[in-house]
Amino acid sequence: MKKAKFVVVAAMALVFLTTGFGFAQTQAQVKEWRVPFLNCLTGAIASIGEYLQWGAERAALEINQAGGIKGKPVKVIGVDTALDPQKGSVEMARIVEEVTLVALGPVPEPVIMAAMPIAVENGMMSVTATTSYEYAVKFFPWTVSWFPPTEQRLGELVAAWAALHPAMKTVVQFVEPYGPWPGMAEAHVKGLTSAGVKVLPKVDVPSDAVTFGPLVVKAMEQKPDGIVFVCNAEKIAKIIRELKSRGWTKMDHLLVFSSGDAPELYATGGADINGVEIYNYINPNLDTPRWNAFKEAYMKAHNGNQPPSLSTNYYDAVYMIKRAIENTAVTGDPKKLKEERKMIAEYMANMKDFHGIMFNWDMKNGVPTNKPTFIFSIQDGKKKLVKEVKP
Amino acid sequence: MSLALYYYLSITAVNILMSWALYVPYRMAHLHFITVANMAISGYTAGYLVMALHVPFTLALAIGFLLGGLIGYLVSLFIGDAPTFAVVIVGFTFITITRTVIENMPAVGGTMGMFGLPNIGGSPSVHRFVILGILYGLVVLVGFLIHRFDHCSLGRAASAVFVDKDLAVSLGIDIRKLGILLQTFSCTLAGGCGVLYGFIYRSYHLDFFTFHLVGITMTIIFVGGYATMWGTVLAAPLLYGIPLLFPPEIASWRIVIYGALLILVLVLKPEGFITRRSVHCVEAFLSRRQKN
Repeated sequence: MKKAKFVVVAAMALVFLTTGFGFAQTQAQVKEWRVPFLNCLTGAIASIGEYLQWGAERAALEINQAGGIKGKPVKVIGVDTALDPQKGSVEMARIVEEVTLVALGPVPEPVIMAAMPIAVENGMMSVTATTSYEYAVKFFPWTVSWFPPTEQRLGELVAAWAALHPAMKTVVQFVEPYGPWPGMAEAHVKGLTSAGVKVLPKVDVPSDAVTFGPLVVKAMEQKPDGIVFVCNAEKIAKIIRELKSRGWTKMDHLLVFSSGDAPELYATGGADINGVEIYNYINPNLDTPRWNAFKEAYMKAHNGNQPPSLSTNYYDAVYMIKRAIENTAVTGDPKKLKEERKMIAEYMANMKDFHGIMFNWDMKNGVPTNKPTFIFSIQDGKKKLVKEVKP
Repeated sequence: MSLALYYYLSITAVNILMSWALYVPYRMAHLHFITVANMAISGYTAGYLVMALHVPFTLALAIGFLLGGLIGYLVSLFIGDAPTFAVVIVGFTFITITRTVIENMPAVGGTMGMFGLPNIGGSPSVHRFVILGILYGLVVLVGFLIHRFDHCSLGRAASAVFVDKDLAVSLGIDIRKLGILLQTFSCTLAGGCGVLYGFIYRSYHLDFFTFHLVGITMTIIFVGGYATMWGTVLAAPLLYGIPLLFPPEIASWRIVIYGALLILVLVLKPEGFITRRSVHCVEAFLSRRQKN
């Protein structure tokens, strides 16, 4: 009996020692988890940077209200790159030299190009959650892609859109030459062609275009049944108004791409874009407590405006970081910085069943495998779900 | 050396060199913005040579300089003695044309950009050392050349053209030849800067070469002082350092700070902080000390 008691006590002591040691090993050694976010808080896209920052800080707030990460609060620190590659590179250099486990951003592509090589060289993950797969993949494994390869994702999506309108036999695209947009337009071509739609020669939209009459005439001369817009949101709205003024009536045969889903589209388009279809990666009509709370908080902070689709990207990214820290042996110990950065990167690249604010998804080698996309119809400034396209 | 300091120093050196590339033709009142297009053309060409054709970096850099010079020379045959406004328009047009051409060239990455330029010397630390060495070697060399230019008959001729073109012609100055020389030099320098700029980031993107760069160099020249080369040396590190050193709350106002500085300087000290007179005073002082 005494021997049995001794064995039980020894076993318990052993368990406490090992788990205690293990717990001490993964116990946070930081006062707070600091996550720098290289963002455009000033400059031409400051309005986008603002809501990206808001989303990330919202996630941090929720996490801290629920007890933080391993008992320590998380703080998202906005680092302004002002759309300037010069500033972005110096800021990233500063970040990698500090005791930073993981960063968010950069935003947008020119700053990504200038700053991400620094993160890669120093083995630190920086989550670029608003760029295409084709940019992100160049910096693997030190970032993750928020989207699958463009051709695959958009091909399926526009083919699904074409299937909604079987009478649509020919389509023309308005394409602005910026960053990944021409690549997205190419992916549309493949998708539409696979659905049996003939894609007419595209109409280039110069970045500095201010009048759109000649562009619309050029498009309409080809007598398309449908039109896809791959350009800046404000330009899309103006082109649609121009189309309507020249007699276009099949509003549901107009498809706006995801990057056009911005406040400028609705502000400039007004009632003229009613009936136009648009695709994006989140469904604002979702009815869940988490999303409703996010939406309500966003609208309260932004004069009643609905949250743009990108506002959830860095929100989810912060939660991914939380999960990575909680499910690995990361402690924030400066002496283990290199290995802990690697742990976070490896975990995030292959995270399974991540619970995003909109839907759950898996990551495989840095690429999401099962994110849905959505086609909406715009009515009075709001999006009504037409179809959910699952990969 | 810290990584942040490396990027600060290397980008400051590019800003100094590009501001000088604008300063030299401005000595005869030409705002030669084609230099930004030269950066892009030479940069992308060098990037393509290194990535696709495995040309060594030094050869690609030399080609970048030569290409910049060639384009500058050919264009200057037409605008060597043109009015300032015409030179400005040509520069802006070239920037737009260059961007459009590169956008439509998949071979150099098109609108996506060019990724993954290799480290020179095989390792990041050697790469940084080489880039900094070349950049500051260029700063010293170009600074010396511009200093000699400013103190020789060519510099005086340029000053005469700046003040009164007709008077300069009546004094026997060949404005066209002078314009060709200065514009070619400026474009040669810009071509090399374009190559080095991309190798600092190890990538090229069209938005590295925008009118924003024109704004930066203009601010540096006019705040620092457009009448001497030393204004650029003072203004470039300071203006670039403001958004990096100040707290975020102040740094976010940097565009306002730049604009206010520019206005203040143009109103209170139109020649900029460092004027020709102040440089003469310093030179005279140093000369007296040397004699003593």
